[in-house]
Amino acid sequence: MTAVNPITLEVVRNAIYSIAEEMRLNVMRTSRSPILKEAGDLSCALTDAQGRIIAQGRDIPIHLGVMAFTVQKFLERVPASELRDGDVYFTNQLEVGGNHLPDVKAITPVFFDGEIVAFAINLCHWPDIGGAVPGSYYTTAREIYQEGLQIPPIRVFSAAGTERRVLDLILLNVRGAEEREGDILGQRAANEVAARRLKEVFTRYGRETTLACFSRFLDESEQLMRAAIAEVPAGVYTGDDFLDNDGVVNESRRVAVTITVEGDRATFDFTGTDPQLVGPLNTTYYIACSAVYYATKALFGPAIPINAGCYRPFEILVPKGTLLNPLATAPVVGGNHETSRRAVDAIFKALAPAIPDRIHAGSFGSSGVIIIGGTDPRGRQYISYETNGGGLGAGPRSDGESGCQSNMGNTMNTPVEALEASFPFRIESYELVPGTGGRGRFRGGLALQRTVRLLHGTATLTTMCERCVHPMFGLFDGEPGTPAKITLNPGGPDEQPIPGKINREIEAGMVIRIQTGGGGGYGPPVERSPSLLAADAADYET
Amino acid sequence: MAKPEFRVGIDVGGTFTDVAAYDVASGNLVSFKVPSTPPELAHGVIAGLRVLLAAQDGSVRELVHGTTVATNAILEGRGSPTALITTRGFRDVLEIGRQSRHDLYDLDNPGRARPLVPRRRRFEVAGRLDHLGSEVEPLATAKIPGLVDAVRASGAVSVAICLLHSYANFDHECRLRDELTKHFDYVSASHEINAEFREYERSNTTVLNAYIMPIVSQYVTQLEEDLAELDLGGRLHVVQSNGGMMTPGTTRRKPINTVMSGPAAGIAASRHLLEQMGIQHGVTFDMGGTSTDVCVIYDSAATVTSQRKIGDQPARLASVSIETIGAGGGSLAWIDPAGALKVGPQSAGALPGPACYGRGGTDPTVTDADLVLGYLDDASVWGGEVRIDRDLSEQALGRFADRYGFSTHEAGEGIVAIANSNMIRALRLVSVQKGYDLREFALVAFGGAGPVHAGRLAQELHIPRVVVPVLSGVFSAYGCLVADVRYDAVQTYFSRLSDAEPVAIERAFRELEERTVGELVREGYGRSAISVSRAMDLRYLKQNYEIEVSADSQGETPDLAVIRGRFDARHEQLYAYRTNQDLEIVNLRVFATVATGHPPLPAHSAGTARSEDARRGERLAYFSETGHCTLPIYDRAELGVGAVVAGPAAVEEPWSTTVVYPGQRLVVDQFGNLVIEVPSP
Repeated sequence: MTAVNPITLEVVRNAIYSIAEEMRLNVMRTSRSPILKEAGDLSCALTDAQGRIIAQGRDIPIHLGVMAFTVQKFLERVPASELRDGDVYFTNQLEVGGNHLPDVKAITPVFFDGEIVAFAINLCHWPDIGGAVPGSYYTTAREIYQEGLQIPPIRVFSAAGTERRVLDLILLNVRGAEEREGDILGQRAANEVAARRLKEVFTRYGRETTLACFSRFLDESEQLMRAAIAEVPAGVYTGDDFLDNDGVVNESRRVAVTITVEGDRATFDFTGTDPQLVGPLNTTYYIACSAVYYATKALFGPAIPINAGCYRPFEILVPKGTLLNPLATAPVVGGNHETSRRAVDAIFKALAPAIPDRIHAGSFGSSGVIIIGGTDPRGRQYISYETNGGGLGAGPRSDGESGCQSNMGNTMNTPVEALEASFPFRIESYELVPGTGGRGRFRGGLALQRTVRLLHGTATLTTMCERCVHPMFGLFDGEPGTPAKITLNPGGPDEQPIPGKINREIEAGMVIRIQTGGGGGYGPPVERSPSLLAADAADYET
Repeated sequence: MAKPEFRVGIDVGGTFTDVAAYDVASGNLVSFKVPSTPPELAHGVIAGLRVLLAAQDGSVRELVHGTTVATNAILEGRGSPTALITTRGFRDVLEIGRQSRHDLYDLDNPGRARPLVPRRRRFEVAGRLDHLGSEVEPLATAKIPGLVDAVRASGAVSVAICLLHSYANFDHECRLRDELTKHFDYVSASHEINAEFREYERSNTTVLNAYIMPIVSQYVTQLEEDLAELDLGGRLHVVQSNGGMMTPGTTRRKPINTVMSGPAAGIAASRHLLEQMGIQHGVTFDMGGTSTDVCVIYDSAATVTSQRKIGDQPARLASVSIETIGAGGGSLAWIDPAGALKVGPQSAGALPGPACYGRGGTDPTVTDADLVLGYLDDASVWGGEVRIDRDLSEQALGRFADRYGFSTHEAGEGIVAIANSNMIRALRLVSVQKGYDLREFALVAFGGAGPVHAGRLAQELHIPRVVVPVLSGVFSAYGCLVADVRYDAVQTYFSRLSDAEPVAIERAFRELEERTVGELVREGYGRSAISVSRAMDLRYLKQNYEIEVSADSQGETPDLAVIRGRFDARHEQLYAYRTNQDLEIVNLRVFATVATGHPPLPAHSAGTARSEDARRGERLAYFSETGHCTLPIYDRAELGVGAVVAGPAAVEEPWSTTVVYPGQRLVVDQFGNLVIEVPSP
């Protein structure tokens, strides 16, 4: 390992983490979109000059593998020699460490003594990136062109000011230009503050020492991760899981993984995964990496600081042309938070026999996205983007949480009172659904249901919800959780089921109900303790 | 001559009950400590009063009390069985919360707040409002008797009511409350606790209020009875989380407002102190054994936050914006599996405590490092009871030193530097991030370890001045005396600023004022004594975080252009940009205050201005600037106004030590505060 005074190392570590944390808060506080401000669907990080992650502020798991590669891939296209102090680049291009088009990254080189020493990067989920439908969730897309604007790495700000024509090009191609501009300004401001603070650290501790600290952070996380892997019994483990469908072709699709644990390293080989899909449930190599990074951190070493060092012990193989690594032009919008979770589920199933005392049963592995876009009574366009949590899988020591975002996702809900104040909706219920958690020694968490009535005009309804067909798996004789379902006009004479992935028109008076999925159970139901059974009976019978 | 009349501030802590009494006529200030008397904390209050009146022949005009009864009840889960009544279809909002987890990687403990009301005690009632307060469906009044029976059958003692959009129209909640009050002693309606949108936060705040209502009510009533028995006369007030105080009646109805009572009193004392010193901005720094509290005072007012967590329970209430850092003098140094040197968050606590206590602790703490560096005295008996063994600290540090090839002193200095960097990270979060420039601030240090570290932190953060206050041993009790009676009210009011009618806003403000002022008038305060100020929570269109700005205006109606200007300026300070976008009004706020006549700090008369006369010895110390050096020691009690002490030096008093670092200079001001000037780098 690199030799650094351990005291300086800790002091610099605190300074660097503090910058990454503040970046995230700065984006949340200065952006305009509710999904950033309230739901916090964003990630911030500092990388070294080579684009390796040094610190990530409150990491969102889906973004782990993305942030790990974006700056590196960016530098392959925009050579460091072209970058100037004050530049801010934006990109959402899939090949540039991308995941899906709504996640737009802002990248700022940090200069010290005329040389690039680091990058500040933040990723924000824009509520709209253009394309066929408001919200840019075209669930029957067959090409990426239908999913919105692709932004190759492009300079939007420089020391001389705003590249107005570039900014206009972006704003002209997305809905809600005013709000988007606010998000862009927020993304830029967060990077600028981070760059300034980082320069202070370099000034204070010197270039050599600070860079030595960076490489030491990476070495430490690598060492911790290797030690954690070494505790997993060596072996070859296989697991698979299935997508309900791809949004276009109504057939289940397989994600498969073979995990080889050897001493302090592991290989994740996704060979056996189905070929790329017609519809938008494909995802990128970087998201497959996110799934591996998330699962290994949660199962092997939750406390290991996230940076590029954690990832060194892993080899991740994803054959080109599969749904986890499709050819360019394939649609991907839903794969980001849906297919990624199939990969996590496959990994969990594979590792269950290896680490039964740490593994958890299947969680509602979907963001349960419902998007409604239209025009309000004042003639203003609106887009409501809501995620819906479900039951988490039970574990070896506890029941699963109910009505909660699962593994790789953690977006907050929008308060009912805020939704009704902003959109022409009435929310008629928002509650847990008893009986949906898989039974077991420990019970899976309960699904939730939300009932929305459209009060005005017509609107476009988009659903992006997995686990309507394949239930959340139980483990070690625990039962599976109840699958999700979406219903139009529930309880009415014209009640009808709605598929998990559609775009369709709805009109005033119509009611949409989403019931998410319950978590899988752990262990045989007959082993459930009398006190837990009594609590179930008192609280969750009806 | 008439017997003296006292205003008495009493802060009850876990170990000691602090008393500060102010003679209204003479301006004399008396302060002392008596042991606390858990679990019957009210007895400690009475004991304090008895001690006071035994020594001073006089009477008590007013008793102002800082209490931790509410906080402890929540943290220790000792509240009462509570029921929750919600709008039909929404009883699980309390359990779903914001559907997110605190920890995404710890699968066994994702860290969501457990609902304080289990599902079996959550009930629904039909009836619906929209966000403007219009009735969409009438309240199902016919169902209320059945509801009352069900609540009673559930075993609930206290009832919380939270209906959707009740902030916009109180009618449904009032009707339910009025019915339930006939059957239950303790009923909390959400619009009375927090008339703000966001149903989960409002529900949880109302539930917390209901949960502690019985225990706090009983405590306050007991205290009133004990006072009546003593026949002291005088009026009782309780310090609120916002730093103001309230009457026993309001405390019984809104006990949630006391969750930060004691700490808020400490902040009130700091604010008052800085004001008298002519300092506008300060950061308080209260470093204890296991944790450290910090709070920003800006423009002579404590910063207030509208949201906080009590344990893991989120609540919406106005409270001084104290941030707690999980690090203190007892924080342990350790080596992580990757070989990195870490300090905290684990703490040695009181038992075993730092290695130097000789109670079995063998891992070094920050306190051990301070001791080895010579910053703390190894000869005295700390706090009158703890005997110190410096050798034990040396041994504990020695093992660390060997690991890294350091001298013991280098190891000690390293531990202190890392602990300080943890503090700096937290101090930055509360200040720079919110747009404050610390170069304009003073660091107000108290708590056992605060004055040891403050000088170094100030240097690192470019803070030009450190203040170690006089009366710091009874600081919260003194703060009780400088609190005003203050009632805050909030009302959600959705409107775009461009659509807003100044007349309508004025009307809404007046209603809100009538609610707060009316409450004070009913409690016996004269209208003329009550001053009122206004604020608005605003945001740029579609932002979801609001900024509170003053809405005070000269004219008949609010001057929206002026308010907009304040918003833009504050937004720019916080977030580095402003735009021409329309604003949304989200909340109106009113603060009604009755001033209480703040006792000025008495002039400092003891001691000598010649600091060498207050010098009581020296010991060896170690600083990075000087290496090993001789550290002169001064007795704080002997230092008089104008005394100057050049660093390196230490100033000692029974409860703490102030370290003056090399290059710094300490001056005793007219009140007896120690003021350290920190040269800019």
